[in-house]
Order: sequence, then structure tokens, then C-alpha cells
Amino acid sequence: MTAAYWLTQLLNALQYSMLLFVLSVGLTVVFGLMNFVNLAHGTFYALGAFIGWSLLRATGSFWLALVGAPLLVAAIAAVLYGAMIARMQRAGHLAQVLATLGLVFMGVEVMRIIWGDFALDFAAPPLLQGHVQLFGLVYPAYRLFVIALGLLAMVALWLLLERTALGAMVRAAVDHADMAAALGVRVDRLFFGMFCFGCALAALAGVVAAPIFSVYPGMGIEILIPTLIVVVVGGLGSLKGAVAGSLLVGFVDTFGQVLLPQLAGIVVYALLALTLLLRPQGLFPARA
Amino acid sequence: MLRLFDPLRTLLALLLLLAGLWWARTGDYFGREILAEMAVFAIAAMGLDLLAGFPRLVSMGHGLFVGIGAYGYAVATALWGWSWPAAILLALALSALAGLLVGLATVRARDVFYIMATLAFGQMGYVWVVRSAELGGDDGLAGVPRPELAALGLDLGDSATFATLLVLLAAAVYLLLGRLLASGFGRTLVAIGQNERRVRALGIAPGPYRVAATTVSGTVAGFAGVLAAMHSMYVSPELFHWTWSGEVLTMAILGGVGSLVGPALGAAAVVWLKYAVSGWTEYWGLFLGLFLILAVWTGGQGLYGYLERLRAWLLRTLTRQEEADARGDRTGQTLRRSHRHRPGVAAGGEG
Repeated sequence: MTAAYWLTQLLNALQYSMLLFVLSVGLTVVFGLMNFVNLAHGTFYALGAFIGWSLLRATGSFWLALVGAPLLVAAIAAVLYGAMIARMQRAGHLAQVLATLGLVFMGVEVMRIIWGDFALDFAAPPLLQGHVQLFGLVYPAYRLFVIALGLLAMVALWLLLERTALGAMVRAAVDHADMAAALGVRVDRLFFGMFCFGCALAALAGVVAAPIFSVYPGMGIEILIPTLIVVVVGGLGSLKGAVAGSLLVGFVDTFGQVLLPQLAGIVVYALLALTLLLRPQGLFPARA
Repeated sequence: MLRLFDPLRTLLALLLLLAGLWWARTGDYFGREILAEMAVFAIAAMGLDLLAGFPRLVSMGHGLFVGIGAYGYAVATALWGWSWPAAILLALALSALAGLLVGLATVRARDVFYIMATLAFGQMGYVWVVRSAELGGDDGLAGVPRPELAALGLDLGDSATFATLLVLLAAAVYLLLGRLLASGFGRTLVAIGQNERRVRALGIAPGPYRVAATTVSGTVAGFAGVLAAMHSMYVSPELFHWTWSGEVLTMAILGGVGSLVGPALGAAAVVWLKYAVSGWTEYWGLFLGLFLILAVWTGGQGLYGYLERLRAWLLRTLTRQEEADARGDRTGQTLRRSHRHRPGVAAGGEG
């Protein structure tokens, strides 16, 4: 157990955290803003990975897939919004959970029908395929790219939400939707935009994760649980919560597997139980 | 409040029981296998209704209890060679314990947090079992025996006998849960579902009731797991998976939560549909998802909700000519409202 070993684990934890962040931020903002629970968030993640795979195969360019898949998934999300999400907004959380659970079941089958039942390989771009020397440590370049992308997304979202007029409108609508609407904010348009944006972020995470985990129909179902744990631990609706939650879950899960291999995968649930008991509203909820 | 002897509920339960018994006698082997599966799901869905329908705690983690019940029985009999009564007791004790722990861990969680937390805890069992070599990992455990009842002159290896027993057990679970819900305990659960704050204001701490309800519900789900293990004589980690929990929840919602008989009806309907569209079973999730979305869009009252509406309409029509027109109308309305499944209440009621 050398220093290099621990540094590798640290980077692994950071990389997993960044992936969880990009995934959970869309989910938590949509919840905070629209009071809408979207269990199908993981489905958009899987859809992003599959569409990215097809784009990569058609064009041969990873970067085109990285940009194109989120845009296409946002378009799909826009259609879904018009078809069912908009009319479910006032229906209550239970109805939303159930309807989006229905989407989860259907989404898996649709992906199986289109792309088949097998795991598909997804190559990292040639530029990032090698390893990088870092403080005497050899680390896959692609994973460093994931960390960088996550940090970039974090800063960009922070600037967007805290430093722009649009961000101020979003925060106002999260705080008090009716009041923001009375002040002239088109809250329904904001909802629509944020929903599509959140789904695009999920798809981005899907493409980014694809070279690490490969692509298969159940990937969205699998990632949903850690994402929900991030949201519950971090607190609903806040960027700060998504950052804190994803770092906590990413580090607890990675180091749990290293330090307590016999309890691998279980430690993160202990974190969840502890949070629920001590701070049932999460660490940084948007509305206390 | 669940009225113990609501005529419509009792009639539907009796019809389901008689249809099940008749089918067990006259159906072919394949039909009896389907019937046994219906009974297993009906028991799990009724157990879920105790939480989702009355205190309105929508658990998405019932696969955990089902899996623990199934694996408890399978490990005790197939691996340790225990006798079946001891194995059943162990399985029930373990699932009750799991229910108690999940109930305690989620006692402060509200609304969506409850759903997400139960979802996550359910998945914990799946992760554990898949990674455990002793429990067979991904492959599960085979060679699970059915109870030996030769002393009573029964052979549970015979599909008709087994299906009949399961139908009778489902009826017994229905009666037990019905009795429980009609008691003071059950009424408190209903009150918690309607307005938890008011329950507190009346001087009742909802926490212990919630934990107790989760424990009972978990035990019932564990019992369904035991029967599932006996039925297929094999257990797999799929029982733990959250999509399994989602399937049971779909059955309960489709049938109509808060009526106890509705989830049983929903289980029978969904399992029947699963085999009716057998050419499509490979893509069964497509239909399951569609049913779920349709059930929500049509108001979320489920099949039983429609039966109640039908009854209210009949009552109104029949009493229209008489003097008691207005009164009959109101009775029908109250009935409909008290049983109606209102998702909005869960969201807004607790603030």
C-alpha cells in the first residue's frame, strides 16, 4: 500500500464523484425547480450512451458523439415533456414516481429492441487512450479527462446559477415559483428548459461513462440508485448539495471497497441510513 | 378507514378465491403454475398495500423483504438441511427484522425521500447477494424443497395441491391484514396517511406505528418470498432487484391501493397479462411500463376504484326515483372519496 496506490484510489474516487455529479445535478435541479421526481433520469443516461455509440460508429468521432448525443437526448426529452411531463407537474410525487417508473421499464425494452441485449464496446478517443505520468504515478488519461470535465461542469453550472440573470431566475423559481411568476419570470418555460438541460447532462454523463463501463440496456437502472443516494444525501434542489453528495458517495464507495472489501458496495447504504436518521432533509437542501 | 365487511370488497375477494380454487381444480399444469405465481404476487402486493395504501408510505424496496424470505428459506433447507417449519420461521423472522430496520432507518423520511430511501435499501440486498459466493452469486440457489405434508395426505409436488394451498394462504393473508386494518392500529395507520401532523396533534407519535407497519409489511413480503422459493424450487438475486419491487408496486397501483383486495386483483391481472401476451414476453417491460403510465393517467384509483365508481353510480341510479335521492348520492360520494387514491395528498399534506 504505497503512496501511489492511495493516490490512484483518490483519483478513482474523484472520477466516480464527477460522473455522479454530472448525473445528479440535473436530477436535483429539476426536482428543486419543478418539484418533479424523475426516476427515468438513469434512462436518459443510458440513452445518451447508446446514441453516442451509434454516433461514434457512424462518424468515427468521439467528440461528435459527446456533443451530439446530449443534444439528441434533449430533443427526446422535449417531446416527452410535451407528451406527459408537463401534465404531470401538478399530479403529486407519487404519480410522478410511478409514471417515470413506467418510462424506466419501457426505456429498457426500447433500447433492447434497437441496440440488442449485449454490452457494446465504446472506445475512448485516440487522444486519450494512453496513460499519463502524474507525480510518479501512471494513470489512464481518459479518467483524468472525466475528472477535468466534471470540474468544468461544476464551475460552469456555478457561474450559470450564481452569476447570470438566467441563474437568478432559476433560483427565484426554486425558492418560490408563484412569486417569481408574479414578478414576470416565465416559470413554465424555465421548467421546460431545465428539464431538457438536465436530461442532456444525464446523456453527457452516459457518453462519458461509456468507455469506462461499456454500454448495455440496464446501465441506467444500475446508476439510478447511487444517483438517488447522492440527491438524498446532498439535499434536494441545490448545486452545493449535488457537489457535496457526489463527493461523499464517490469517496465512501471507492474507499469502502478498498478498506472494507467484505462489505463492498454496502458502506454507501450505511451513509444513506445515517443521513436519513440525522439529517432527513439532506446536507444542503434548497428549501430548508 | 377500511371497513372489515365492505360488501363490494368482500364480494370481490370471495370471487377471486372461488375463481382461484376452481382454476386449481380444472386448469392444466401450465395454468396452475400461473395461478401459483398469481397467489405469490397477490400476497406480496397485499403486504405492500398495508404501507402504500393506508399510511401512504410508498415502498419501492419490497424486493428486499421478498428476497430475504426466499433466501432465508432456501439457505436453511437446501444448504443447512433444516426442516421446513424451522426454515419458514427463520425466513419470517429475518424478513421481520429487515422490516424493523428499514422502518427505523426511514422513520423520519417523508414523501419522496421515503420512496428514494426504500429504493436504495432494497438494492442493498441485491448488491450483497450478487457478490456473495456462498449464496450462489448471480446464479442463485437451486434444489429448494417444498414442504413434506405426506402425513396429512398432501403431496405438494402435485401442482394442483400446491396451487390450491397458495390460493388458500393468500386468502388467509387477506383476512389477517383486513382484521389488522380494522383494528385501532389500522385506523391509526389510515390517520397517518391522511394527515400526519394532525395525528401528532392528537397526541399520537406516528413513528412507532410506521415502524410496526413496515415490520408487518416486510414479514408478509418475506412470506411471499418463502412461497416463491417453494414454487420455483430455486431462488435468484432477481427477487431482490428494485425492478421486482417496482413490478409489485405496479400490480398494487393497477389493482387499486387502499382496498387490500385491489392489489390482489392487480397481481392476478398483471400475471395473467404477462402470459397472455406470451409472444411478447421478451419485451414484457414495455407493457408493464405502459400499464403503469395508463394507471396513473386514469387517476391512479386502479381497477378497484372503477368498481367503486360503478357501485356509486348504480346506487345513485337506483335511488334516483326515491325520496332519499340526495342522501344516497352523498353516501356514494363519501365512499368514493374515502377510498380514492389521491397522490396529491401525499405531496402536500405534510408540508
